[in-house]
Amino acid sequence: MPATDIPVPQDPADALAAVVALRRLADQLEDAAVEQAMRAGWSWPHVAEALGVTRQAVHRKHAKRLIAAGVKLRRRSP
Amino acid sequence: MSPFDEYIHTIIMEGAVEAQRHGSATVEAQHLLLAVAAQEGTAPQRVLAAAGLDHEAIQAALDREFDHSLSTVGVFRDSFGLSRPSATLKRLPTMGATGKLALERGFASVPRKKDLRSAHVLLGILQAEAGTVPRALALAGVDRTDLLTRVQDTITDDDSE
Repeated sequence: MPATDIPVPQDPADALAAVVALRRLADQLEDAAVEQAMRAGWSWPHVAEALGVTRQAVHRKHAKRLIAAGVKLRRRSP
Repeated sequence: MSPFDEYIHTIIMEGAVEAQRHGSATVEAQHLLLAVAAQEGTAPQRVLAAAGLDHEAIQAALDREFDHSLSTVGVFRDSFGLSRPSATLKRLPTMGATGKLALERGFASVPRKKDLRSAHVLLGILQAEAGTVPRALALAGVDRTDLLTRVQDTITDDDSE
Protein backbone atom coordinates (compact mmCIF):
# COMPACT_ATOMS: atom_id res chain seq x y z
CA MET A 1 0.00 0.00 0.00
CA PRO A 2 1.54 3.38 -0.94
CA ALA A 3 2.25 5.70 1.99
CA THR A 4 -0.36 8.13 0.69
CA ASP A 5 -3.08 5.49 1.22
CA ILE A 6 -2.35 5.02 4.93
CA PRO A 7 -4.96 6.92 6.94
CA VAL A 8 -3.09 9.51 9.02
CA PRO A 9 -5.10 10.85 11.95
CA GLN A 10 -5.62 14.63 11.86
CA ASP A 11 -4.54 15.09 15.47
CA PRO A 12 -0.74 14.76 15.81
CA ALA A 13 -1.22 13.20 19.28
CA ASP A 14 -3.36 10.44 17.73
CA ALA A 15 -0.87 9.89 14.90
CA LEU A 16 2.09 9.61 17.29
CA ALA A 17 0.15 7.34 19.66
CA ALA A 18 -0.75 5.13 16.68
CA VAL A 19 2.97 4.68 15.95
CA VAL A 20 3.59 3.56 19.56
CA ALA A 21 0.58 1.22 19.51
CA LEU A 22 1.52 -0.31 16.14
CA ARG A 23 5.08 -1.03 17.33
CA ARG A 24 3.68 -2.72 20.41
CA LEU A 25 1.19 -4.71 18.35
CA ALA A 26 3.99 -5.74 15.95
CA ASP A 27 6.03 -7.05 18.90
CA GLN A 28 3.05 -9.03 20.18
CA LEU A 29 2.38 -10.34 16.69
CA GLU A 30 6.02 -11.39 16.32
CA ASP A 31 5.95 -13.32 19.61
CA ALA A 32 2.79 -15.15 18.58
CA ALA A 33 3.86 -15.77 14.97
CA VAL A 34 7.33 -17.10 15.85
CA GLU A 35 5.82 -19.45 18.41
CA GLN A 36 3.21 -20.61 15.91
CA ALA A 37 5.90 -21.29 13.27
CA MET A 38 8.21 -23.13 15.68
CA ARG A 39 5.32 -25.27 16.97
CA ALA A 40 4.57 -26.09 13.31
CA GLY A 41 8.14 -27.38 12.90
CA TRP A 42 9.84 -24.42 11.22
CA SER A 43 13.59 -24.04 11.76
CA TRP A 44 15.35 -20.93 13.14
CA PRO A 45 16.96 -20.04 9.75
CA HIS A 46 13.58 -20.37 8.06
CA VAL A 47 11.81 -18.14 10.59
CA ALA A 48 14.71 -15.65 10.48
CA GLU A 49 14.59 -15.41 6.70
CA ALA A 50 10.81 -14.94 6.75
CA LEU A 51 11.18 -12.10 9.25
CA GLY A 52 14.11 -10.58 7.38
CA VAL A 53 16.46 -10.74 10.36
CA THR A 54 19.51 -12.84 11.22
CA ARG A 55 19.18 -16.31 12.73
CA GLN A 56 21.13 -15.10 15.76
CA ALA A 57 18.73 -12.19 16.30
CA VAL A 58 15.59 -14.32 16.21
CA HIS A 59 17.19 -17.00 18.40
CA ARG A 60 18.39 -14.46 20.96
CA LYS A 61 14.97 -12.87 21.11
CA HIS A 62 12.74 -15.93 21.31
CA ALA A 63 14.63 -19.15 22.18
CA LYS A 64 14.54 -18.85 25.97
CA ARG A 65 10.82 -18.13 26.05
CA LEU A 66 9.92 -20.96 23.66
CA ILE A 67 12.10 -23.49 25.48
CA ALA A 68 10.42 -22.49 28.75
CA ALA A 69 7.04 -22.95 27.05
CA GLY A 70 8.04 -26.51 26.08
CA VAL A 71 8.13 -25.90 22.32
CA LYS A 72 10.17 -28.57 20.52
CA LEU A 73 12.75 -26.66 18.49
CA ARG A 74 14.28 -27.87 15.20
CA ARG A 75 17.97 -27.39 14.57
CA ARG A 76 18.09 -27.56 10.76
CA SER A 77 16.14 -26.22 7.81
CA PRO A 78 13.60 -28.60 6.27
CA MET B 1 17.48 2.61 53.68
CA SER B 2 14.95 5.46 54.10
CA PRO B 3 11.20 4.77 53.65
CA PHE B 4 11.38 6.66 50.33
CA ASP B 5 14.35 4.59 49.13
CA GLU B 6 12.43 1.42 49.96
CA TYR B 7 9.34 2.74 48.16
CA ILE B 8 11.18 3.77 44.99
CA HIS B 9 13.01 0.43 44.93
CA THR B 10 9.66 -1.40 45.12
CA ILE B 11 8.12 0.78 42.38
CA ILE B 12 11.06 0.20 40.01
CA MET B 13 11.08 -3.56 40.65
CA GLU B 14 7.29 -3.89 40.39
CA GLY B 15 7.33 -1.62 37.32
CA ALA B 16 9.78 -4.05 35.71
CA VAL B 17 7.43 -6.93 36.49
CA GLU B 18 4.52 -4.99 34.92
CA ALA B 19 6.66 -4.25 31.83
CA GLN B 20 7.58 -7.93 31.52
CA ARG B 21 3.93 -8.91 31.88
CA HIS B 22 3.11 -6.54 29.01
CA GLY B 23 5.92 -7.98 26.86
CA SER B 24 7.82 -4.68 27.00
CA ALA B 25 11.64 -4.60 27.02
CA THR B 26 11.58 -1.26 28.83
CA VAL B 27 9.87 0.09 31.96
CA GLU B 28 7.67 2.97 30.83
CA ALA B 29 5.59 5.51 32.76
CA GLN B 30 2.44 3.37 32.51
CA HIS B 31 4.23 0.43 34.16
CA LEU B 32 5.35 2.68 37.02
CA LEU B 33 1.76 3.94 37.37
CA LEU B 34 0.47 0.35 37.63
CA ALA B 35 3.14 -0.36 40.26
CA VAL B 36 2.12 2.76 42.25
CA ALA B 37 -1.55 1.67 42.16
CA ALA B 38 -0.61 -1.79 43.44
CA GLN B 39 1.08 -0.57 46.65
CA GLU B 40 -1.87 -0.95 49.05
CA GLY B 41 -1.90 1.39 52.03
CA THR B 42 0.42 4.02 50.56
CA ALA B 43 -0.59 7.68 50.10
CA PRO B 44 -0.28 7.67 46.27
CA GLN B 45 -2.36 4.50 46.01
CA ARG B 46 -5.08 6.12 48.13
CA VAL B 47 -5.14 9.23 45.92
CA LEU B 48 -5.48 7.09 42.80
CA ALA B 49 -8.18 4.89 44.38
CA ALA B 50 -10.17 7.99 45.45
CA ALA B 51 -10.20 9.04 41.78
CA GLY B 52 -11.51 5.58 40.82
CA LEU B 53 -8.11 4.44 39.62
CA ASP B 54 -7.25 1.11 41.18
CA HIS B 55 -4.83 -1.26 39.42
CA GLU B 56 -7.63 -2.89 37.44
CA ALA B 57 -9.12 0.42 36.31
CA ILE B 58 -5.71 1.70 35.16
CA GLN B 59 -5.10 -1.52 33.23
CA ALA B 60 -8.52 -1.14 31.57
CA ALA B 61 -7.74 2.50 30.69
CA LEU B 62 -4.39 1.48 29.16
CA ASP B 63 -6.05 -1.28 27.12
CA ARG B 64 -8.61 1.24 25.91
CA GLU B 65 -5.89 3.71 24.92
CA PHE B 66 -4.07 0.94 23.01
CA ASP B 67 -7.20 -0.03 21.09
CA HIS B 68 -8.18 3.59 20.50
CA SER B 69 -4.72 4.50 19.12
CA LEU B 70 -4.76 1.49 16.79
CA SER B 71 -8.27 2.32 15.61
CA THR B 72 -7.17 5.80 14.46
CA VAL B 73 -5.17 4.08 11.71
CA GLY B 74 -7.82 1.48 11.01
CA VAL B 75 -6.24 -1.39 12.95
CA PHE B 76 -8.24 -3.59 15.31
CA ARG B 77 -6.61 -6.12 17.63
CA ASP B 78 -9.56 -8.51 17.44
CA SER B 79 -9.15 -8.91 13.68
CA PHE B 80 -5.80 -10.72 14.08
CA GLY B 81 -7.18 -13.77 15.88
CA LEU B 82 -3.67 -14.97 16.71
CA SER B 83 -3.17 -17.31 19.64
CA ARG B 84 -1.78 -15.68 22.75
CA PRO B 85 2.00 -16.28 22.85
CA SER B 86 3.49 -18.13 25.81
CA ALA B 87 4.42 -15.91 28.72
CA THR B 88 7.47 -13.86 27.92
CA LEU B 89 10.66 -14.83 29.70
CA LYS B 90 12.92 -12.16 28.43
CA ARG B 91 15.65 -10.26 30.25
CA LEU B 92 14.50 -8.02 33.08
CA PRO B 93 13.33 -4.81 31.39
CA THR B 94 15.53 -1.73 31.69
CA MET B 95 14.22 1.77 32.43
CA GLY B 96 12.64 3.29 29.33
CA ALA B 97 12.54 6.91 28.19
CA THR B 98 9.11 7.76 29.65
CA GLY B 99 9.81 5.89 32.89
CA LYS B 100 13.07 7.77 33.33
CA LEU B 101 11.43 11.11 32.58
CA ALA B 102 8.67 10.43 35.13
CA LEU B 103 11.21 9.67 37.87
CA GLU B 104 13.36 12.68 36.96
CA ARG B 105 10.32 14.97 37.12
CA GLY B 106 9.36 13.56 40.51
CA PHE B 107 12.90 14.02 41.87
CA ALA B 108 13.17 17.52 40.41
CA SER B 109 10.08 18.67 42.31
CA VAL B 110 12.00 18.95 45.60
CA PRO B 111 15.16 20.96 46.32
CA ARG B 112 16.77 18.23 48.45
CA LYS B 113 16.61 14.44 48.16
CA LYS B 114 15.61 14.10 51.81
CA ASP B 115 12.38 15.99 51.03
CA LEU B 116 11.21 13.27 48.65
CA ARG B 117 7.96 11.50 49.55
CA SER B 118 6.27 8.54 47.87
CA ALA B 119 3.71 10.87 46.25
CA HIS B 120 6.49 12.64 44.32
CA VAL B 121 6.82 9.54 42.13
CA LEU B 122 3.13 9.75 41.18
CA LEU B 123 3.54 13.52 40.71
CA GLY B 124 6.31 12.88 38.18
CA ILE B 125 4.23 10.29 36.31
CA LEU B 126 1.19 12.58 36.11
CA GLN B 127 3.17 15.60 34.92
CA ALA B 128 3.57 14.15 31.41
CA GLU B 129 1.33 16.04 29.00
CA ALA B 130 1.89 13.71 26.03
CA GLY B 131 2.09 9.96 25.70
CA THR B 132 0.29 6.83 26.84
CA VAL B 133 -0.50 7.80 30.45
CA PRO B 134 -2.22 11.18 29.86
CA ARG B 135 -4.11 9.69 26.89
CA ALA B 136 -5.30 6.71 28.92
CA LEU B 137 -6.41 8.96 31.78
CA ALA B 138 -8.27 11.29 29.40
CA LEU B 139 -10.06 8.35 27.77
CA ALA B 140 -11.04 7.13 31.25
CA GLY B 141 -12.58 10.55 31.95
CA VAL B 142 -10.00 11.47 34.59
CA ASP B 143 -9.08 15.13 35.03
CA ARG B 144 -5.28 14.89 35.19
CA THR B 145 -4.82 18.48 36.41
CA ASP B 146 -7.25 17.90 39.26
CA LEU B 147 -5.48 14.65 40.13
CA LEU B 148 -2.13 16.46 40.17
CA THR B 149 -3.55 19.00 42.62
CA ARG B 150 -4.78 16.20 44.87
CA VAL B 151 -1.35 14.55 44.83
CA GLN B 152 0.28 17.89 45.62
CA ASP B 153 -2.15 18.36 48.54
CA THR B 154 -1.19 14.94 49.89
CA ILE B 155 2.45 15.98 49.92
CA THR B 156 1.67 19.27 51.69
CA ASP B 157 -0.66 17.64 54.24
CA ASP B 158 1.50 14.69 55.07
CA ASP B 159 5.02 15.99 55.10
CA SER B 160 6.01 13.63 57.85
CA GLU B 161 5.43 10.44 55.81
